[in-house]
Amino acid sequence: MTLTSNMISTKAITKIVTTSQGELQILQPISFDVKAGESVAIVGASGSGKSTLLGLLAGLDQVSAGEIILDGQPLHAMDEEQRARLRGEKVGFIFQSFMLVQSLTALENIMLPAEIAGLSDARKRATEALEQVGLSHRGNHYPNQLSGGEQQRVAIARAFITRPRILFADEPTGNLDAANGEKIENLLFDLNQQLGTTLILVTHDSELAARCRRQLRMHGGVLEEAPVSGFEDKRHAG
Amino acid sequence: MRVDAMSLSLSWRLFRHEARRGELTVILLAIVLSVASVLSLSLFSERLQSALTDKSAEFLAADRLLGSDKPVPPEWLEEATQRGLKVAQRNQLRSMAFANDKMMLADVRAVDNQYPLKGKVKISETPFGLPQVTDSLPQPGEVWIGSRLFQVLGVNLGDQLEIGDKAFVITQAVIELPDGGFSLFGGDPVVLMNQSDLAATNVTGPGSRTDYDYLFAGDDTALDDYYEYLKPQLNREIHYWRSVKDDDSPLGRSVKRAEQYFLLASLLAIVLAAVSIAVAAQRYSQRHYDPVAIMKTLGASAALVRRVYLLQILFITALGILIGGIVGYGVQQLIASLIAEKVQVALDSWYWRPFLIAVFTGLVCAMLFSLYPLMKLFSVPPLRVLRRDLGASMGSRSVQFAVAGLAIFLLMWAYSGNLTISAILLACGLLLVVALMLVTLGLIALGRKLGQARMGAWQLAWARISRRAMDNSVQLISFAVTIMLLLVVLVMRNDMVQQWRDQLPEGTPNYFMINITEGQLPQLEQHFLARGVKVEQFYPVVRGRFAAINDETIRTDVSKEADSNSRGRQGLGREANLTWSNQLQHENHVVEGKWHGGAAPGEEPRVSVEKEVAERLDIKMGDRLTFNIGSEVVRARVTSIREVNWQTMQPNFFFVLEPYAMAEFSPTYITSFHLDTEHKAKLAELMAPFPTVSLFDVDARINQLRSIVEQVSMAVEFILFLVLCAGTLVLVAQVQASMDERMQELAILRTLGARGMLIRMSVVLEFVIIGSVAGFMAAMANELALYLLQTQVFNMQAGFHFQFWLLAPLVGALVVGILGALSCWRLLSFNTSDLLRRMI
Repeated sequence: MTLTSNMISTKAITKIVTTSQGELQILQPISFDVKAGESVAIVGASGSGKSTLLGLLAGLDQVSAGEIILDGQPLHAMDEEQRARLRGEKVGFIFQSFMLVQSLTALENIMLPAEIAGLSDARKRATEALEQVGLSHRGNHYPNQLSGGEQQRVAIARAFITRPRILFADEPTGNLDAANGEKIENLLFDLNQQLGTTLILVTHDSELAARCRRQLRMHGGVLEEAPVSGFEDKRHAG
Repeated sequence: MRVDAMSLSLSWRLFRHEARRGELTVILLAIVLSVASVLSLSLFSERLQSALTDKSAEFLAADRLLGSDKPVPPEWLEEATQRGLKVAQRNQLRSMAFANDKMMLADVRAVDNQYPLKGKVKISETPFGLPQVTDSLPQPGEVWIGSRLFQVLGVNLGDQLEIGDKAFVITQAVIELPDGGFSLFGGDPVVLMNQSDLAATNVTGPGSRTDYDYLFAGDDTALDDYYEYLKPQLNREIHYWRSVKDDDSPLGRSVKRAEQYFLLASLLAIVLAAVSIAVAAQRYSQRHYDPVAIMKTLGASAALVRRVYLLQILFITALGILIGGIVGYGVQQLIASLIAEKVQVALDSWYWRPFLIAVFTGLVCAMLFSLYPLMKLFSVPPLRVLRRDLGASMGSRSVQFAVAGLAIFLLMWAYSGNLTISAILLACGLLLVVALMLVTLGLIALGRKLGQARMGAWQLAWARISRRAMDNSVQLISFAVTIMLLLVVLVMRNDMVQQWRDQLPEGTPNYFMINITEGQLPQLEQHFLARGVKVEQFYPVVRGRFAAINDETIRTDVSKEADSNSRGRQGLGREANLTWSNQLQHENHVVEGKWHGGAAPGEEPRVSVEKEVAERLDIKMGDRLTFNIGSEVVRARVTSIREVNWQTMQPNFFFVLEPYAMAEFSPTYITSFHLDTEHKAKLAELMAPFPTVSLFDVDARINQLRSIVEQVSMAVEFILFLVLCAGTLVLVAQVQASMDERMQELAILRTLGARGMLIRMSVVLEFVIIGSVAGFMAAMANELALYLLQTQVFNMQAGFHFQFWLLAPLVGALVVGILGALSCWRLLSFNTSDLLRRMI
């Protein structure tokens, strides 16, 4: 896939929240573009506003001002219902705390986005996805019967099942040990490559960030482009 | 709601897995509990009421009675038969009975072969003998007569007795007729004969007053339909229709009160159910914040989320209703069979109403009380997947309380059809909630102060109470409401059963003697005492005709006896029993004016009038009443109106005059005594020296009354037991639910290395504080609820119950504390990583 069109385009987006002490501006006006198929890491210390930005870009939250265009759609002008539809059609997610539905099995968790999107072959797709992440023998297990690494693999399978145009990952290895973390990283980047998905990854792990083509640094609500020299693809670096 | 295959399949899958994993246990348990308790209570009370109504029907000898001054058209009776009703006929009139050249006015009853439709005739071969149940009736040419007739006329079995133009052979002594009435003075002794003999007596000619009574029995609907058919044809002047429910006897009133109690208990069960469902639904909703946020993040529309969860609640409700129905039926069947020996409940009878009510209650409770938590659940933002602190963002708790209160009120009202009971319970509940909110605020303030000291179990408990003030206020309210409801049911039962038992204490006189002359008094007293029988107080009595009010002549006489014998109609020509005394009788209370006792004689004699008679005859304070006693006239001014407890088996009088007004009359005396049923044989010996004294045997009546009161009391105890069980389960569910919320904190404390003992103590203390505050507030609210219920609904005397002011907080602290300790112990038995994992 060529990196021509913009998958995400933001123009002066800000986020202001009201607290008991008055209004607090979490994000200073931010403008940047992400090309389709690009992998972008947003790095920064805790509390710098990374997750807030991720929430806005993914349409989980509404901007206080500014514009976000996601795959040609004006996210900033949409209501929650429209954003939900857009998420269902184009977006996949991976979270630090896995966010699996505890009362559904691994297989059913993977099926969930496909079912919500109304795909008739949800189970077939989920079975294949489960195989891809190497967990076909664990399909009938509930999340609390799986290890952290296994849960995150299920989450990755779930994220890719609808072939999303863009994937948002929030500290995907944050809850895992080094060995499991690396497996998950590899899986994530492999699938991303295979499917040509745009990847927006929030992390404070510089090694993980270094695997992305591009890095953006958040600092006190301000976003700046980080030097791309650190980019390395471990698969190819090996 | 449009249900598509996807949402159906997803919600079914969620339901199945969650049910299997025990995630739904609490809410399912709450619904099961509500359905089971409402079903068992209402099914049991329906059966019991039907058993009691059946029992009361015996006192009418039928389910319904049509009374008439003359024979009714035969087609009316044919219609009844065609409708599948059983019909019996009875003629009743007063006529002289002659034997041995003596005569006595008798209550003549001529009955057909169907009589009685309910209850049994009891006879004996000796007057005042031990009663034996019989299914037969006097054959043509025979009569069975009351014991007193044997005494007065000096007859024996086999002797002849004449009524009008016909002579009969006396073949049995009648000891008890089901429709004999509850009057102490019993009216005239009974002569029971076959209806086919009545014409030959020629006593029913013109001028005689014969009642034509038609008795009906059958199922309620058929009887009601039949009455609808009759109604347009009835003439109020000659006909009247009576059902057991019109029964205003002491028994009827006891049964009515019991029915109200059952209704109250069932209502409280509904409220308990609602509270437990509300608590469970809140917990259910909180546990599903994450799945909802995940689904929304993955693109689920609000409508899809709504469908999935509403369907899930529907599945849970359906399962809850099913299990609750089975459990409730089982519990009820078990209890009914346990008490079947004492209370004759029909185990095989089937009632649809309780089932419908139970299903309706389960459905409405589950839907209405989970609505608000569900709406909160639907409002969970998808952003929660990134920011775990984000919860539901919806309206205030006051809205929730208002909706819940309104729903409970509507449920109670719909179920009971009794606005008063529903309004009283709601008002007390609201007051309790407001008071508890204030207490919560107080606790927060107190907690802030106490919590500042060094961290021990006590400080930890207080800190938690004040920090979780809003959550605790909900918990406090649900504990307090539960305890209050349990107290209401408990105290109500104590008061009611006590008042019933007080009516008929052990040793209640079961024989009455009248016509005792002044000269016989000392001898009689001594004679009885020598045989171990204590005679009660002697009341002087003069029979007098109540003739005028303020010199305005009245047409009829009034007396309680006449009233009960004529089923509310006046004009039997009976005289009133006048007595005189300076002392107010036991169980009499002056409600207007001043009792004349002790005061110096005024210009005019004074009289005290019983309240109901005063109301019926429109007698006012200061009215001048005229009595004709023989050829003498006595006038007296009304100076007090008395309320009389007719439910005591004591001689009571409508008119009590000042002694000096009656000084010139020579009275006879009335007294009573108690003799155990098994010592009945002693009667002949006791009465032998006093042939002129008439004896009234009310032993059978008292035993009947006592057995009913015992049955009703027993039933009430079981209902209490059921409600207590339901209440305890609700408390368990509440503690369980709140434990869940505490898990996170426990996990953190545990992780930080807090000793189990410290955590356990702090949780137990927290529950002890909540339990005792809830108990104390419940005791207060209970007083108010009871006062209103007893004065407005049950017509009982209300009083304070100070013992519960101490008991309720103690028991509240104990029970809630123990439940808290048990749940906490369970949580602490998990290791810390298990705890942390369970939190996710």
